[in-house]
Amino acid sequence: MSAAPVRRIARIVARPTLWLPLLSLLVFLAVWEAVGRSVDPLLFAPPSRMAGELPELLSSGELAAATGVTLQALVVGYLLAAVSGVLLGIAIGQWDTLGRLLGPYLFGLFSTPRVVLVPLVILWFGIGYGGRLFLVFLWSMIAIATTTADGIRNARPDLVEVARSYGAGRAQTILHVLLPGSIPFVLSGLRIGAERAVVGVVIGEMFLEITGLGGLLQDSAQSLETARMLWAVVVIAVIGTVLITGLDALERRLSSWKAEPT
Amino acid sequence: MRDPEPAAPKIRVDGVAKFFEKGGGGDAGQVRALDGVDLDIAPGEFLTVIGPSGCGKTTLLRIIASLTDPDAGRVLVDGKAVDSPSPERAMVFQSFGLFPWKTVLDNVRFPLRVRKAPLSEATETAMEFLGKVGLADFAHSHPHQLSGGMQQRVGLARALATDPDILLMDEPFGAIDAQTRELMQEELMRLWQGSGKTVVFVTHDLDEAVLLADRVLLLSRSPGTVRALIPVDLPRPRWDYDVRALPGFTDIRARLWSMLRDDLVFAESHGPGPATAGAR
Amino acid sequence: MSAAAAAAPAVPRERPRLRAALQHAAFALALLAAWEIGSRLLGSALLLPPPGAVLAAMAELTASGELVVALGQSLLLLVLGLAAALVVGFVFGVLIGRSRIAYWTLSPYFSALFVIPTVALVPLVLVWFGFGMGGRVIIVLLAGLVPVLLSVAAGVRDAPGELVEVARSFGLRGELRLLIQVRLRAAVPLLMSGMRLAVGRAVVGMAVAESYLRLGGIGGLIRNYGSSFQTEYVFAAILPLTLLGIGLSALVGLVERRFQRWQT
Repeated sequence: MSAAPVRRIARIVARPTLWLPLLSLLVFLAVWEAVGRSVDPLLFAPPSRMAGELPELLSSGELAAATGVTLQALVVGYLLAAVSGVLLGIAIGQWDTLGRLLGPYLFGLFSTPRVVLVPLVILWFGIGYGGRLFLVFLWSMIAIATTTADGIRNARPDLVEVARSYGAGRAQTILHVLLPGSIPFVLSGLRIGAERAVVGVVIGEMFLEITGLGGLLQDSAQSLETARMLWAVVVIAVIGTVLITGLDALERRLSSWKAEPT
Repeated sequence: MRDPEPAAPKIRVDGVAKFFEKGGGGDAGQVRALDGVDLDIAPGEFLTVIGPSGCGKTTLLRIIASLTDPDAGRVLVDGKAVDSPSPERAMVFQSFGLFPWKTVLDNVRFPLRVRKAPLSEATETAMEFLGKVGLADFAHSHPHQLSGGMQQRVGLARALATDPDILLMDEPFGAIDAQTRELMQEELMRLWQGSGKTVVFVTHDLDEAVLLADRVLLLSRSPGTVRALIPVDLPRPRWDYDVRALPGFTDIRARLWSMLRDDLVFAESHGPGPATAGAR
Repeated sequence: MSAAAAAAPAVPRERPRLRAALQHAAFALALLAAWEIGSRLLGSALLLPPPGAVLAAMAELTASGELVVALGQSLLLLVLGLAAALVVGFVFGVLIGRSRIAYWTLSPYFSALFVIPTVALVPLVLVWFGFGMGGRVIIVLLAGLVPVLLSVAAGVRDAPGELVEVARSFGLRGELRLLIQVRLRAAVPLLMSGMRLAVGRAVVGMAVAESYLRLGGIGGLIRNYGSSFQTEYVFAAILPLTLLGIGLSALVGLVERRFQRWQT
């Protein structure tokens, strides 16, 4: 009776796709531990040291507070970017001339590394919340707007015509035809935008206002507390992964009608 | 025989012409798709339009729907010139034109929602018409889950949902397999019979053109002009018996075919149109 | 006839192109005017220096050689980092693409590396590898590595079997020669799109490394002028960097199209 589940678990454990990464992780940690200890345990923070640091980071509430600060700016900036990015994308996609004229500037801004704009952001938005929000918002918004515009431009002309034949106006055509048809594009924009937003929030916390996970990282770097730095990086990586995985799941759900185009 | 020109036509096509720019052809310049088409369609009439490919059948339909503007002439509905699409002239498309992201119910509800009908009323009307085409059980399916025939029934229900005076149908059964097509033709006749709706039905299928029509409009090869308007005086309803076996049916079909054949033969030996032939 | 037909469409197409160019010029002028007016209204060269001041600053930075030296340092860092990313990316990409065991043991680390923003790695790398050129090159390497690696891995994995068969039938032996002469060749389009991503990320890595240290290169220049609130110099240094980013991505795109033409 209990044999079957045990066998199933055994089979899962025996899968190379599971034990290979695990084995690799163990080897990786062991090498790190050995090298770190023999060279400079403080600087290289071997796994044992990282583990030792965790209880204090958790019990003092430091890590949780930093994560909260980071998530707050990330979520607010990203949501603003999503809403305004979709709206701007619709405008660019609808008015070709606007897209053609704005395109090069958006692209230029998009390909300028954000760190070098930090001095200007500080001057214009201050080193506080506003500046951080801007760093999360703008680049994420550009990514979402450009992909949404692509989606609008790629709308099926026959369906636009159907809407027109039933007397739908511009707003109704956008709502019923252009936007739903662009959902795959919007979602890929939201994905790229999420990556950009995570980078933006960390830049803001490291270069503007020393706060949140980026601030934790920066502070610990100043005092050479590598173990604390690593924990900040780990949490940032987890946030990024969760966000992207969530958007992937959303994409699969929302495009179920695409199952098989006929 | 029916009076070919009743006093007050439902639709009057008045000297309509349409030109298209031909890409890549040096001196070919423009293609005349339609040239000087005059036509009156009576209220409640079922008109089918047939002609060789490239004769501008679809263009004529799109001009009546105001989806394309004519380069000359105009279209009058109830004596008034039309210049923008309206649900009063509902269109049924060859490719069905269903929104893949909307459910069947939402698709049928679409024209009603465009007209700002309240949701509950729109739902009720949409369900009524889905019932009429036998798809009430599929209201919450998505188009990709339905067969081609079922999808076009949704398209038909959508067109009928606003209770239009005029139905414009662009080869609606062209993408549907032959057996299903016969069922759809019967269903369309049942829905139309006694409804008083005026139907303009473009097809490339001779049998279908004769089977459905009060009159068949035969357009000539490019540029499209009215070549013949042939009344089909066969008893209705036509689903009760085998229409195709009637001598009347075969006579009209033969007449149409002999006229159509000349153009087809010409097209086969000279290319689809004068412009393309010139560009070679 | 065919020459006339080919030449004919060029005439009507020329006019919209001219119109588009004029539109762009007009829009650029309008932006410049808005900038000028905005800076006058603000009345603060600190917040928004007028275009003229930025131009003058740019001329001064160029004349003094400061900009050229900084660009040179940045480019050197970029080239070294990208070269390192290419070498490491190729070695691990081939490993991961050709061996299931390597895939399951190594790929999780690279996926993690891809998710972590490069900025977050900068303090760690600098603490571990020092503040010299070595540490900076490693930052650019980490920024550009994963796109190269992923495209190499996908490329060598998906190489068309029939090409491999043909090569074998012509007597091409040895996994290594097969890899270089067939698999990698067939994967060139994929590699180029990976390169394009890598270049973009490497520029970011370069800027981040320089800004963080506040010394050397364009990034350092911008941060220094930023902290002394000389905004016109900040603008004057950002513009060349933006152009560098656009230029590099255009360059990769050019090479990409070149290869595409050979491919088919």
